[in-house]
Amino acid sequence: MIFVFFTNYLSLSTKYSEQELVALLLQRNEQAFGYLYDNYSPALFGIINQIVPDKEMATDVLQDVFINIWKKISLYDPVKGRLFTWMLNIARNAAIDKIRSKPYQDSLKNQPLTENVNTKSGNYIVDPKVNDIGLKKVINRLKDEHRTLIDLSYFQGFTHEEISKLLDIPLGTVKTRIRTALTQLRTMIQ
Amino acid sequence: MNIQEYISNGIVESYVLGLASAKERIEFEKMCTQYPEVVKARDDFEQAIEKQAMENAPVPPANVKEKIWPAIYQTPALNTSKIISMEPTTRSSSGLRWIAAASIILFLAAGYFAYNFYNQNKKLQNSNKDLEAKISEKDSLLEEQKIINDPNVTVVSMVGTKPGAPSANIYWDTTSANVFLVVKNMPKLASEKQYQLWALLEGKPIDLGLFDGGKDKIILKMNNVQKADAFAITIEEKGNKGGPNLEQLQSIGKTKL
Repeated sequence: MIFVFFTNYLSLSTKYSEQELVALLLQRNEQAFGYLYDNYSPALFGIINQIVPDKEMATDVLQDVFINIWKKISLYDPVKGRLFTWMLNIARNAAIDKIRSKPYQDSLKNQPLTENVNTKSGNYIVDPKVNDIGLKKVINRLKDEHRTLIDLSYFQGFTHEEISKLLDIPLGTVKTRIRTALTQLRTMIQ
Repeated sequence: MNIQEYISNGIVESYVLGLASAKERIEFEKMCTQYPEVVKARDDFEQAIEKQAMENAPVPPANVKEKIWPAIYQTPALNTSKIISMEPTTRSSSGLRWIAAASIILFLAAGYFAYNFYNQNKKLQNSNKDLEAKISEKDSLLEEQKIINDPNVTVVSMVGTKPGAPSANIYWDTTSANVFLVVKNMPKLASEKQYQLWALLEGKPIDLGLFDGGKDKIILKMNNVQKADAFAITIEEKGNKGGPNLEQLQSIGKTKL
């Protein structure tokens, strides 16, 4: 009977709490990093691949993102939000940097446009498969005018000012519509 | 400002998704320090986003992880040996810091003694004997330090099962099976009682030896063990020959994650 107690005790901590995970990562614990990768790489890869449709390039970004997470974990501040949110923003920023980089822009010019343009999402390249997962799936359920704005700001990384110029909509309207779109997004996922 | 209006105007989502401007971010972080309901709304949305992002997420190609590891290993580690901690909120244990400091001091001291011994060999026959004795003493300590600093050594942090319970680190060389117990805090026991260290393997306890309490920051060489799922410390009758008394379980630490 006593051994049952031990067995139960031992099986308790196979999954880490976020707090435990962060503490172990700060100690440079490689097993904890392995767990972090196994647990979060699909979600982060999903978001990266929604921004960088080329799977190989998305994979490169994912690799850099995890190395950066390992190097910069001491900058994570739990007071400002969850670990996943922090990692998600690192992944999104890295993916946007990638699509804005010159080599990426050049590679786009060499692709036949007709095969890759998803007209519904605007005149940029989107792999239809990645539209059915994660955040994109919810965003696709938004009204067109809202979805375009979220697409441009969240997935393309355009500032409100850039969107205002791009779509010829007043800046105030861009802001209001993005805020409205975001509150709708919340009601859809919560 | 009406706080509910503030929460429902989309700022929470903008902030979490990284779409807020610098000014909005600063304001939002300030609101978080003042209004728990803002933090609650942020946390709820963060969890919803996390859940959504995890759903049907595509598994990246298997070779990505392999490519990441070399970069991870190149990063200067804070601790060279593997640390398995049961104290998630503690960044590094005071025991380890003590050992690191002690090993540097011992290293410098041994170096100093050796240097003196070499130079003054002929002049100072008498003091040489004294120094030789000191060197051998330091050597045995250095041997222990070497074990502790060995990358094959797994460090298991033993955490008390209740506040004020004894705490210790175990340095376990999984290749040689040596087990060292570094006591951080072991309260003194009644004279007929002793602490006992156990290894637990597949639910069965293995006796690793008895020791007395009352001495802190000492290194004890315990019995060897090749395999263990966890280590545990109990309080037993002096010279206990039987199994562990689990009602007196003091500390436990897992070896695997």
